[in-house]
Amino acid sequence: MTTVVPDRAVASAAEAGAGTLRLEALTKTFASRTGTVTAVDSVSLDVAPGEFITLLGPSGCGKTTTLRMVAGFEDATSGHIRLDGKVIDLVPPQRRSMAMVFQSYALFPHLTVGENIAYGLRLRRQGRDEIATSMRMALTSMNLVGLEDRSPHELSGGQQQRVALARALVVQPKVLLFDEPLSNLDAKLRGSMRAEIRRIQGMFGITSIYVTHDQDEAMSMSDRIVVMNRGRVEQVAAPGEIYLRPASVFVADFIGRANFIEVVPEAVVDGRATVHALGQRLDIAAHPTLPAEDGGAYLMTRPETMKLTPVTDGGGGIGVVLRSTFHGPTIDYDVETTSGTITVTEPGRDPREALDEGTNVHVLIDADRAYLLARD
Amino acid sequence: MTLLLPSRGRTPDPAVPGPPRRRRLDLGVRLLLVACVLLVVVGSVIPLVAVLTAAFAPDALPRYAEFITSPVDLGILRNTLVLGVLVGLVGTALGFLFAFVQTRLAVPGKRVLHVIALVPIVSPPFAVATATVVLYGRRGVISNGLFGLEYDIYGLDGLVFVLSLSLFPVAYLGLLGMLRGLDPALEEAATNLGASRWRTLRTVILPLLAPGLVGPFLLLFVEAIADLANPLVVGGDHTVLASRAYLAVTGEYDVPSAAVYCVILLVPSLLLYFGQRYWLGRKVRTTITGRPSGSVHLVDNWVRWPIYGLALLVAALIVSIYGTVLAGSVTRVFGVDNTLTLDYLEEVLAGVGREAVLDTVVFAAIATPIAAIFGLVISWLVVRHLRRSAALLDFAGTLGVAVPGTVLGIGFVLAYRPERYLGPIEVFPSLVGGSAIAGGAAAIVVAYVIRSLPAGQRTAVAALTQIHPQIEQASTDLGAGPLYTFRRVTLPLIRPAFLTGLSYSFARSMTSISTIVLLVTPETKIITSQVLSAASTGRYGVAFAYCTVLTAIVLAGFALLRLVVGAGANLHRVASPVPQFPRSRDTERPKR
Repeated sequence: MTTVVPDRAVASAAEAGAGTLRLEALTKTFASRTGTVTAVDSVSLDVAPGEFITLLGPSGCGKTTTLRMVAGFEDATSGHIRLDGKVIDLVPPQRRSMAMVFQSYALFPHLTVGENIAYGLRLRRQGRDEIATSMRMALTSMNLVGLEDRSPHELSGGQQQRVALARALVVQPKVLLFDEPLSNLDAKLRGSMRAEIRRIQGMFGITSIYVTHDQDEAMSMSDRIVVMNRGRVEQVAAPGEIYLRPASVFVADFIGRANFIEVVPEAVVDGRATVHALGQRLDIAAHPTLPAEDGGAYLMTRPETMKLTPVTDGGGGIGVVLRSTFHGPTIDYDVETTSGTITVTEPGRDPREALDEGTNVHVLIDADRAYLLARD
Repeated sequence: MTLLLPSRGRTPDPAVPGPPRRRRLDLGVRLLLVACVLLVVVGSVIPLVAVLTAAFAPDALPRYAEFITSPVDLGILRNTLVLGVLVGLVGTALGFLFAFVQTRLAVPGKRVLHVIALVPIVSPPFAVATATVVLYGRRGVISNGLFGLEYDIYGLDGLVFVLSLSLFPVAYLGLLGMLRGLDPALEEAATNLGASRWRTLRTVILPLLAPGLVGPFLLLFVEAIADLANPLVVGGDHTVLASRAYLAVTGEYDVPSAAVYCVILLVPSLLLYFGQRYWLGRKVRTTITGRPSGSVHLVDNWVRWPIYGLALLVAALIVSIYGTVLAGSVTRVFGVDNTLTLDYLEEVLAGVGREAVLDTVVFAAIATPIAAIFGLVISWLVVRHLRRSAALLDFAGTLGVAVPGTVLGIGFVLAYRPERYLGPIEVFPSLVGGSAIAGGAAAIVVAYVIRSLPAGQRTAVAALTQIHPQIEQASTDLGAGPLYTFRRVTLPLIRPAFLTGLSYSFARSMTSISTIVLLVTPETKIITSQVLSAASTGRYGVAFAYCTVLTAIVLAGFALLRLVVGAGANLHRVASPVPQFPRSRDTERPKR
């Protein structure tokens, strides 16, 4: 596939040096029958120009409300939004230099694909030639050439999605906003659209905020992920850090799968502590909130960072295989141990070679990829 | 920070002083708002205040005591309420019957049935009353001539019959839109879970439509108790408040009594209107998802035939009535002397009726675009831009329906008949009555606008609430201001609703009677008041001729509007603003 690099767009984004977004203690409360509900609770965030940030969390965590406040469709109850240093709290959405890709795509049903894309350009009073150039660029980069005279309802879901993205991109916004844009597509298409969105976003270098409840999407697309729960930010970090160094039990549990083993660490020194777990003595990195002494803690391990070794000469194992589940590339084992049932994922060999249920096993923990979290 | 009052919520962070975080409305939006408020104040609020002032003036107060002690007056009140309930029930049932046949039954001739159901909208209500007397009265062509009955149609039964047939199309159109908008997947889900068709109707469709059924019921109730023309023609001794107030003001020149009757009529009207708003507000249900899935499964077993038969019977009644209007206008005395004659039509078109026809058309043509545009703008402000004041403006805009026409008419007379002087200088001329400027034309046009405004507003609100706000937000987000968005996105999407609004406004203006009958002057004649006087003096041929001409003009107006605004009054497109995949043809047809 040939990529058309839109030099003009890149140049203009770089020229403006635009797209620094800053949320300061952004809060939104709604009045409800029983009192007030805090949908977004003092969310602060710094987004660098060109950065791709994902707001991730379960439904009702406030991520969409946050996005809509940034777009200007909701007024914040308190706190501020700054774009390139300027407070834009009271700027109406049409003057915020942002463009949103909606969950429902929100294509104008009475306009053709071309007219949809040109809509924002006409508003910017661009000349006919200029519009044509931008359009051609958008159509080419989004693989929509030849569809410009169609009606939105004549397109497939993926194509509608690309039109929505093209319509938002051509106006060269300082910030692109995505409200769960892929939730209406099937799984395969979603995968390719992820890469597509990231490619285009990178090409234009536009600051992006992306709302999703799909952790896979967040992990695979983001520069940084903002994990939200009940209106609050739980953690802001790069995907790798979120995964291996989650800031809370909620984050560890929400992103990927995790085993939590109750342990009592010896004194915490330099952010590390020694713990005893599953018959092993381990030196594990600890989250800063872990009390220095006398605290109970959770040892968080990911299933694929552990290893099982069968104990052949009867007894002596630390656990017993309860169940094995074959997934193709991997096999999951649920192992009953004195610290509760834990899940271990191993590479999937021939399913016939999988460990039988009832096998006595040792469980090896990879201390580098485990983490100590304070008990709530 | 000390709190003087116990605070239930979170105390605001003292570091962040809470300034009023309300963005100001766009300038264009504010100007439109001012225009709307001005119209409503002049057309509804001031006349209403005039009525209330008269009704609570010292000389009117003893009339209340008389009212509650007088068995005659209490009887009038009871008559009014009974009429409202019966018409509301029968009319809503008829509307649902027709809408159900249209959307859920696999039967032939649905298009014809649709057209027949719409006929009563485009003709003056007392066309039905007059024709009913001719066909089904004591010496009726059908009741007496065909079946040999001597049925006394004058009274409650006749009124319910006439008003239900006249008013049910409103319920029909509302319910039709709602039934079409129901996501078929909901019904499929119910069927899929094992519900029978009847059970699906009972447990899914009807509960979802319940707010939709209550709406038309209350609307018909209000319209029925407000109606003036039909009680005058077929009411017999079943006197209602509206006709009593009319007689008080036109026959007895007893303004205090008229005002008191108005207030007593206003109470149930406004109560019901508020009740309807509360009901609808409480039961907000988004049944239209914008991406309908599945397809409607039509009833194709034997059950459809009795339902269809019932609808056909009603359709036959409508056809017989309007056939009589047409036949009555070109025969000497329809049913007695069926000799063809063009005398009546000539009298209307070339003789004394000419002036009335011209005046009516000109006034309606002026009022129609004003009413439709204001209806659209009010609904847009209400649905999309206003917050706390939205309900107030919406209510004010619909006062033209909530307030009975007779009350509004008396309000116009009280407020605008006298000239207003400030010292020796006349600051406000008389707008109503014999000495009014332009023969009272201004007041008539304003009354037309106010009376037909709610129809356009209602249609537009319905269309707007079905358009996903994200579509307009997408436009705003791309840099468009509110007015640009309205012009380029909203208006094209609700153009069908706008056309409907225009058509409604025109039809309502042309057929409006209860307000207008109080505003006509010797200089300005209006068709509807001419029909009334012809019908009440027994000149049925002339009355029928006026009705025929009126209906023809309304239909011609519809055609013209369609031509000007553009066709495509396709409700389906309004209902599904979000692109949807074309439904496959064969699933919509009955499988056989």
